[in-house]
Amino acid sequence: MTVIVFTLILIVGAYCAGLLGSLTGLGGGVVIIPLLTMALGIDFHYAVGAALVASIATSSGSGSAYVKEGITNIRLGMFLEVATVIGAVVGALVAYYLDSNVIAVIFGCTLILTAVMQLTKKQNHDGVKGSEAARRLKLFGTWPQKDGSFKHYELRNVAGGFGVMTIAGALSGILGIGSGVLKVIAMDNMMKVPFKVSTTTSNFMMGVTACASAVVYLQRGNIDPGIAFPVMIGVLAGALTGARLLKRLDVRLLRRVFSFVVLLVAFNMIWQGINGNF
Amino acid sequence: MQILISRTLRWGVTIAGLTTLIGGTLYLLQHGGEALDMEKYASFSYAAQQNPATTTLDGILSGVLAANSESFIQLGVVALILTPVMRVVLSLVDFTKQKDWLYVAITLFVLIVIIANSLSE
Repeated sequence: MTVIVFTLILIVGAYCAGLLGSLTGLGGGVVIIPLLTMALGIDFHYAVGAALVASIATSSGSGSAYVKEGITNIRLGMFLEVATVIGAVVGALVAYYLDSNVIAVIFGCTLILTAVMQLTKKQNHDGVKGSEAARRLKLFGTWPQKDGSFKHYELRNVAGGFGVMTIAGALSGILGIGSGVLKVIAMDNMMKVPFKVSTTTSNFMMGVTACASAVVYLQRGNIDPGIAFPVMIGVLAGALTGARLLKRLDVRLLRRVFSFVVLLVAFNMIWQGINGNF
Repeated sequence: MQILISRTLRWGVTIAGLTTLIGGTLYLLQHGGEALDMEKYASFSYAAQQNPATTTLDGILSGVLAANSESFIQLGVVALILTPVMRVVLSLVDFTKQKDWLYVAITLFVLIVIIANSLSE
């Protein structure tokens, strides 16, 4: 294979990753890692660097659209960011000593959790009674309704959410992915944040968390220019297309099909990791 | 403020994308026809990846001045990484304006962790 063929394959793959990532809300890394490792036989340590690039590109690319609508809860994001950046620093530290096969198994388990959570129903929790801690931290907010008015929401279980976010940060530090699934568990299931708010806030956080470990990975040489170039260009273009399509498309079926594919990839990844194929 | 944040994100992504695209085009012109070094990609080694032109800021900058395509791509990656950091800085300014000292402290903490971790190696 020549360099140009390799680059073209990656651009097409990254474009699909960005497109699927933004349509399903999973971010680009979930597709990029299996593409590089399983389809092209590239070492996991390069794939993690590429996933970090993909995560930041998706987050910043679609983030500019979300902030304008005023859905992102910046205080909530920044508060939970304390947990994720600490997790990311620890994760990047641990990752240095991890074997590719161990990373593969961790990634596979995260994928299974992701697929299962994609299939469960999302709620815009109504009438949640907020906790005192959340009130003190000024985490309550409003979100725009279809008729243009703003609706007030409260949230609770700050400590639980904070704890899960630390794990999310650690996974991001090890795998380079946005670990959106844990953010959903923390914000939707535990803190009872309305779904629309948690999605955009999680997208905002994904970029910041990835930054905490990205420079370390760049210095270690995990971010290879020959891979970073096609991945960044492809993911950015794919995410932009996805953001446009999302307004017109009903993605429920796509999400369901995608979840099953992710599940298959996950089992394959864990199996190969246990057998030491990476 | 919201518009400023949104604009910063868009500009950051555009600059990063364009820099990488220029570097990438140069890279393909120089190396496009070569055979892919699959041995390098198939097994990662920290020692073999210690190329200053792609892993240190000094090396990247001097590489860009010397028209090294790989350094150019890495400069784009650095710009991409800086985009969310800039966003956190803008939030810090916003919280300061609102005199919300609790969140000034929280945001400062996040910023310091990111910067300290980046300078640690």
